[in-house]
Amino acid sequence: MHETDIHDLSDDADYAAASKQGSSSVTRSDSSKRSSSSEPEDAQIVYLKDNVSIHPTQYATERIGGRLKLIKQGSSLVMTWIPYKGQSSNPRLSEKDKNLYTIRAVPFSDIQSIRRHIPTIGWQYVIVVLSSGLAFPPLYFYSGGVREFLATIKQHVVIVRSSEDANVFLVNNFQDPLQRTLSSLELPRSLANGTPSSSFRGSPSPSDNNNQETQLDTVNTSGSGQQNNNRQRQKTQDPARDLSIQVLEKFSLVTRFARETTSQLFRDSLVDGQGQSQSQSQGQGQNERRRNNWASKDHKPLEMAPIDAPIAPKDVPVPSDPLEFDKLSLVWGKPRQHPLGVEEWSNFLDYEGRIMDPDALKKRIFYGGVEHNLRKEVWAFLLGYYSYDSTYAEREYVVSVKTSEYMTIKNQWQSISPEQAKRFTKFRERKGLIEKDVVRTDRSLSFYEGDDNPNVRLLHDILLTYSFYNFDLGYCQGMSDLLSPILFIMKDESEAFWCFVSLMERLGPNFNRDQNGMHSQLFALSKLVELLDSPLHNYFKQNDCLNYFFCFRWILIQFKREFEYDKTLRLWEVLWTHYLSEHLHLYVCIAILKRQRGKIMGEEMDFDTLLKFINELSGQIELDPILRDAEALCVCAGENGAGLIPPGTPPALPIPEASMYQQQDDEVL
Amino acid sequence: MASRRRMLLKVIILGDSGVGKTSLMNQYVNRKFSNQYKATIGADFLTKEIQFEDRLFTLQIWDTAGQERFQSLGVAFYRGADCCVLVHDVNVKKSFDSLNNWREEFLIQASPSDPENFPFVVLGNKIDVDGGNSRVVSEKKAKAWCASKGNIPYFETSAKEGFNVEAAFECIAKNALKNEPEEEMYIPDTIDVARARQQKSSGCEC
Ligand SMILES: Nc1nc2c(ncn2[C@@H]2O[C@H](COP(=O)(O)OP(=O)(O)OP(=O)(O)O)[C@@H](O)[C@H]2O)c(=O)[nH]1
Ligand SMILES: [Mg+2]
Repeated sequence: MHETDIHDLSDDADYAAASKQGSSSVTRSDSSKRSSSSEPEDAQIVYLKDNVSIHPTQYATERIGGRLKLIKQGSSLVMTWIPYKGQSSNPRLSEKDKNLYTIRAVPFSDIQSIRRHIPTIGWQYVIVVLSSGLAFPPLYFYSGGVREFLATIKQHVVIVRSSEDANVFLVNNFQDPLQRTLSSLELPRSLANGTPSSSFRGSPSPSDNNNQETQLDTVNTSGSGQQNNNRQRQKTQDPARDLSIQVLEKFSLVTRFARETTSQLFRDSLVDGQGQSQSQSQGQGQNERRRNNWASKDHKPLEMAPIDAPIAPKDVPVPSDPLEFDKLSLVWGKPRQHPLGVEEWSNFLDYEGRIMDPDALKKRIFYGGVEHNLRKEVWAFLLGYYSYDSTYAEREYVVSVKTSEYMTIKNQWQSISPEQAKRFTKFRERKGLIEKDVVRTDRSLSFYEGDDNPNVRLLHDILLTYSFYNFDLGYCQGMSDLLSPILFIMKDESEAFWCFVSLMERLGPNFNRDQNGMHSQLFALSKLVELLDSPLHNYFKQNDCLNYFFCFRWILIQFKREFEYDKTLRLWEVLWTHYLSEHLHLYVCIAILKRQRGKIMGEEMDFDTLLKFINELSGQIELDPILRDAEALCVCAGENGAGLIPPGTPPALPIPEASMYQQQDDEVL
Repeated sequence: MASRRRMLLKVIILGDSGVGKTSLMNQYVNRKFSNQYKATIGADFLTKEIQFEDRLFTLQIWDTAGQERFQSLGVAFYRGADCCVLVHDVNVKKSFDSLNNWREEFLIQASPSDPENFPFVVLGNKIDVDGGNSRVVSEKKAKAWCASKGNIPYFETSAKEGFNVEAAFECIAKNALKNEPEEEMYIPDTIDVARARQQKSSGCEC
């Protein structure tokens, strides 16, 4: 899926309505309407295969048969898989199930890779992995044809065999030198629509020749025209939209699939001979047996854990991913890029210093971060201290105005005499609290280390000034953690102050007296985990962990204590782009939890143990893989995920009527 | 008594920010003091194995954030506590004045079955500072307050120097043990309940 599309779509009223509909039911009424619509003139079926099936459960007998097609349309190639009508192998599979798995039209620009499995006994299958990181359920080729399938693709899009795994074919892989060169030849927009330039399309390969005949055959036997490929209304009918809806419900199913089906199924086929058409009674008997198995596992998730998640050996500091299979086939966020450098940065600016395409900049930073020496300048934009359309001259002016404004506010507390302070308890208490905290903030970092460090003094002055600037909110523990990296980057007192002010516009509610900001985030987190990892959710539920207090520190100070300092800087600039979501940090939480779930569930951690375990992950978490997972989870949750996050949840800007901090009559510090 | 499996004693440390809760806990468990501890956010705990009258216990010491704003989190952490430690900084009047709030807040949120007799221990920390010259809360004053709240045991400590920390936590452990629910006392072989009660009323000068 191409990210810009997501944004385009979210503005679309049609889209919003459709996805709302989708969240309640996946069997969307418009699917039939759309499938009956005629294919555009230029569409050409280049591959068609019958008897390609998926197995929605781990039972070999429960399968949905269908027809797989590759359709060539202009310069792009699209894949569809449509289940057959009304000839289900099993009465338990409803039409709804079928609809859920239907692959309506996925352009190859959305596909990251195809994994091929050709077991010696049993059926061949492929797993199609999308660039969003999700995968469709394995497609079983009951009548063979995997080779032609791949060969046909190869004729129309550039695919390369992975150097790591000969059975993996990478599509749109811009890491690959060859494909990178290709992509650089093309305009960004045409890349989104996916097909490399025609000069490469025809590059012959041995298999091409072998399959010419088959090709022609398949084209000729085509003609049902069942699937929709209506590209005229591309925006509203973009497959990306369907994806966010379909995939969501598939997620848990697919997960189960990847883990169980593949192994289970082949065990079955060994036992049942070729298994093509088992007698119904035999099948039922087996079903019965396995269903019982499954049910008992369902009720005792802890017994599930070993299957789910092999427990990593004790001596490994960060356990190897307990969900190896998940990661393999599902969660493939895009590879991280190198950080934005000076030269590239200058290309984002026009001759007067305006940022021409803020969204492109944000996207770039989302995927790679910013080089350290550029941070001072770029952070000011990301945080909103500079506006994107300001010129060099305007920014210079802003800085000077804001500096004197800062001095005015600072002077408010600096001019308080000792005599006055004696009668100003609230001031003394605030000051005392800040003094205690700044000497406990990042003192091991050379920037803040040692006695009488001037930077520690600056932390103090900025925080105290802030508590006058926003007297109602005042000072709260955690704020010094948030300011420390900002001062470290900005160096300048006034600029650090104003950047901090901007950050607090968003994170202020974290520190509200009533803790509503924190509660809404923890609530949203629990909802998202329920959506994206229901076994883990159930585990937390059974173990009284649904308050998610073990994630409190993560959220309050944006993981400041969880990563090494320079990784925190990277994470923050990525979060601040708000590129895929304002709430990416919640998906970061889930990504970390998912990677630890094998341990959490396997060791049957209770609330206390879990809290300690989470606290002790500090410094042990690798950032890049987590960011990739978070991206994939965020894309996967899509609109449905966003719908679970209450409006105004930090760091979203507060909803207007709640924008003022309520002054309560207690010991306000 | 060998049959008893629950040997966990849960202790909660409360008090204003910066009074030295984290430092006290680390001094007791790891015999270390560092002035690089960060302000506590959320909650954490350390455990220590202790032996008492031939029985082994795990003391689970919970350290929470001192800022009053985070108190609403308390419920999750206070539940099931066996003893509550209230800490103030003898050099900061406000931290002493807050003890009452902390105590009441704890009783509301933890809602122990017998709030009247729930064991508290009060620590006046940082007595080392400035050779005692900046002290604003006298021992007498602190003890008077403790007496008024049902003879809460009182200790003066320095987490920095490690002064009196061991003794304080020994008392804390004993008091936590006394709070074991009734049904756990049904085999009266190693704990002398009567003696334990006596100790409490005498202010635990152990
Ligand atoms: N001189 C002296 N300093 C101490 C003592 N105990 C703690 N400190 C210092 O007081 C400051 C606060 O100590 P912490 O242990 O972090 O305080 P806390 O009660 O855990 O604070 P919060 O986590 O904010 O609630 C630190 O700078 C410690 O070094 C002590 O006994 N003597
Ligand atoms: Mg602390």
